[in-house]
Amino acid sequence: MKPIHVRRSPWTAVTALAVVGVATVAIVGREPGLSLAGPSRAVLAVEVLAAVLLTAAAVATWRAGEAFPVLLAATALAWLVSEWNSPAAGAGFTPGLLLYAAWPALLAATALRGLHEQRFDRPASGLLAVAFLSSVGVLGVASALVFDPAGQGCAACPANLVLVADAPDLWVSLGRAGLVLTAGWTVAFALLALARTVLASPARRRWSAPVLLPAVAAVLLWGAGAVHGIRRGFVSNDPTDRDLRLAEAVALALVAVGVALARLRARRTRAALAQLVLDIGAAPAPGEVRAWLATALGDPTIALLYRLEGGEWVDADGRETTPTAPPDREATRVRVAAQDVFAVVHRRGLLDDPTLLSELVTTASLALEHDRLHAACQARLHQLRASRARIVAEADSRRRELERDLHDGAQQRLVAVALAIRLARRTIAPGDAELEARLADAEEGVRSAVVALRDVAHGLFPAVLAEEGLAAALEELSEQEPRLVPRALPAGRFPSEVESAAYFATLESLLEAGHDVTVDAVAGQGLLTLTIGAGEQSASTMVQIQDRVGAVGGTATLCAGLLRVEMPCAS
Amino acid sequence: MRLVIADDEALLREGLARVLEDAGFDVVGRCGDADALVRMVDAHRPDVAIVDIRMPPGNEDDGLVAAQEIRRRYPDVGVLVLSHYLDSRYAARLLEEVPAGAGYLLKDRVSEVAVVSDALRRIADGDCVIDPTIVSRLVARKRARGPLDVLTEREREVLALVAEGRSNGAIGEQLFLSRKTVDAHVSQIFTKLGLIESPEANRRVLAVLTFLRSG
Repeated sequence: MKPIHVRRSPWTAVTALAVVGVATVAIVGREPGLSLAGPSRAVLAVEVLAAVLLTAAAVATWRAGEAFPVLLAATALAWLVSEWNSPAAGAGFTPGLLLYAAWPALLAATALRGLHEQRFDRPASGLLAVAFLSSVGVLGVASALVFDPAGQGCAACPANLVLVADAPDLWVSLGRAGLVLTAGWTVAFALLALARTVLASPARRRWSAPVLLPAVAAVLLWGAGAVHGIRRGFVSNDPTDRDLRLAEAVALALVAVGVALARLRARRTRAALAQLVLDIGAAPAPGEVRAWLATALGDPTIALLYRLEGGEWVDADGRETTPTAPPDREATRVRVAAQDVFAVVHRRGLLDDPTLLSELVTTASLALEHDRLHAACQARLHQLRASRARIVAEADSRRRELERDLHDGAQQRLVAVALAIRLARRTIAPGDAELEARLADAEEGVRSAVVALRDVAHGLFPAVLAEEGLAAALEELSEQEPRLVPRALPAGRFPSEVESAAYFATLESLLEAGHDVTVDAVAGQGLLTLTIGAGEQSASTMVQIQDRVGAVGGTATLCAGLLRVEMPCAS
Repeated sequence: MRLVIADDEALLREGLARVLEDAGFDVVGRCGDADALVRMVDAHRPDVAIVDIRMPPGNEDDGLVAAQEIRRRYPDVGVLVLSHYLDSRYAARLLEEVPAGAGYLLKDRVSEVAVVSDALRRIADGDCVIDPTIVSRLVARKRARGPLDVLTEREREVLALVAEGRSNGAIGEQLFLSRKTVDAHVSQIFTKLGLIESPEANRRVLAVLTFLRSG
């Protein structure tokens, strides 16, 4: 049955307003001179209009279980009831006596609660306790108990139904005490509200200030009226009081306008988010969701981070990251089914409005999930690339090690053996031609083994590539393979994996080609570009070269006999 | 002639020392790492130091670095670098700063005593000697454009033999030319490469350096 109750509640407020409004107009109509705002019908209309606007705002923001709209509607009623403290009030006279000062306290509660349903913290609770104590407790109930209108000379006044004993002096004292307290709490409320507004994040301020600031104005006007009435001990309707009452009415109307503004803003954001879903459909291009969120939320630097199945966080390009923000920004994690799904890195306070975030998740969930899958794919791709690069680098380093082992080990030993044979030849007895010839053969064999080993070692990995870089290595290769004609080569060093990929691409195409091969290289704008006059190349060689170049994130394309190799490099 | 031999492979070092002693050289010091080599050269001031390119402590090109330092600090000490690498750049590095009295031979030459002995004598005389294998690789290389473009085919042939450390007489024998013709070619090479200002001994080395760097 609860939903029905919830649906009815705003209409309860409307009904109550209608009853109280009609009664108020009747009461003031009977004795216009006693109205707090003066006898003018126009002023009465303004008073009633303020109440109507407040109630409309309450109805518009009505949501089950939320206190703000209820408090707002109650403020509107209490605002009208304050006119019932009048001889013309009839049966409303006693409620008027009890509640005529209640509306500022209710308004303060409404404003502190705010559209975002903030809990009353300790300062707010304390302040509201004093506000209600002075408004309803001292000025209302306590004063009514000792106030006998007949005894005060008001023969026409209806009976005070809660009168205990007529005590005019006590009544004045209570009135003064209540007004002093009122002056105090209204100022305290204004300070608290202003402090909150200043300290709030810009987004929250935009959201709450339109309601909070006119409420502060209304409460302060009431406070000013209290100060004005302290000397006489009660609230009346002298010209100053009338002006203040009219100003209060305007301030209350502005509170209602503020609520409407905040509603409008929320609706605009929601509409933008809904538009987002319509525009991007179910399959947005990568980055489109981000761009749309940036526009919809008004933060061009907004970034989306996604949590992958494995628990790691990646950015939209799939690069691993952490869901944290730099000091001037904020990271809001979004959970679905009790699990982090993505995070939004944004300007501080941008997503303070809790409804905004839930709207975001529900309206854009499909698109966000799509983006998340895209990021996940990118992440896997990065991992694969990294692993391919590691495999190639590992193979290179193994080859380099082997090359060094051959130089330092086998080659050195063989040279020493050749020397030993040479020494042995010197000790042969003269005339042993056969042994001499066999040793000479052995020495020659060892020497040719050294030469063969040198070629093997060089083929494994050219030492000059690691020691002096690409240009030197290609120059050296041209000494070994005269068909290679190096032309313009950049002298600088590049990451070793880029250098070896470039070297091997050149070497492979040189071995495949049956003719002279030119090689040019240019480095710039983060790219090393080789142009190799490779001629025709077999598919398998191209695959080899592309694998090698691809491992460092580059491309190799053969066009009209020119092999173009492009690789990203730091310099 | 007094020699110092530095090579971390003991078998090779001792073998080389014996071969060279047999050939009439005076081996005054032997060591197995680059630091000891520099100290030994400082102590003995040999005519030539024979240096392995790859040696402790770094096992990279420590030998070559030590050789360069020796040439800077003791210009009258010749250096013969033995290497497994065919790379002409190492040879060029050796000649760069002090263009006299240096040589770069492949290690498998060490058992050819005559070649080593000849190289040592030339180095002691202030000439420079580059391994013929490296020289022939350089000659075979096709250049897009280079400083040697100004030379004729014949002059380039002569320069290659100069780089191998041959005397003009030996070059004449090899190319079937008269000594005078070779002299004329050599001085023509110096002129074309802009080396006429330098002293005679240095010119040959500078021409070789140009040849090595002709990339």
